[in-house]
Amino acid sequence: MKNNLRVERAIKDITQEELARHIGVTRQAINSIELNKYVPSTILALKLSKYFNKSVNEIFILEDTD
Amino acid sequence: MKTKVLFPNCFKKVGWIIFIPSVIIGILTLLNVIQFKNFKEVTVFAIFSDPHYFQKYEWFCFIKNNISDEILCIMNIIGAILVAFSKEKHEDEYIAKVRLESLVWAIYINFGILLFCTIFVYGTFFLNIMMISMFSVLIIFIIRFNFILYKLKKSLGNEK
Repeated sequence: MKNNLRVERAIKDITQEELARHIGVTRQAINSIELNKYVPSTILALKLSKYFNKSVNEIFILEDTD
Repeated sequence: MKTKVLFPNCFKKVGWIIFIPSVIIGILTLLNVIQFKNFKEVTVFAIFSDPHYFQKYEWFCFIKNNISDEILCIMNIIGAILVAFSKEKHEDEYIAKVRLESLVWAIYINFGILLFCTIFVYGTFFLNIMMISMFSVLIIFIIRFNFILYKLKKSLGNEK
């Protein structure tokens, strides 16, 4: 699974730290998602989607290997 | 993420305060640097007791016992459990994942070492190894979990 989190974050111009605080997770979690090291739970994905005001499908993209 | 199986964060400090001295004293006792031979003998309740290795044993009785090793064992286990299973300051699903992975790691390493020792260590020294393995699962877990958290924190310093 790929994600556009870094891009979305750049558009909104906020740091990992600020995003983490808004969503209520650690900065480590945001960082690991951006590095494709961690697949977030549905709850976290929905929270991110709500925060960026975009559908989950626009932020997270399935890959062929999934 | 809300989890009910972990202690509140404040228990972590208490855990360290109990855990560190008990580990140090435990290691020193194992190395025979300190001994508790003169520790006061206390009457304790025993569900089962066989002071002479099964030649004579008793159920549900009161016996006299040097309780230094019992105290040390209890301190070590309670301390380690509190350190290992208290919430982090910011507990979230990612930390929970790291915790789970570290637990699996600790079990593998601990029983890997135990398997190795079962095959290659013989005699009474093996009893020492069995004793250490009572505590080492938690100790390996604590080391691995905190090492990963430390590494994550450090790698965050380089990024925005």
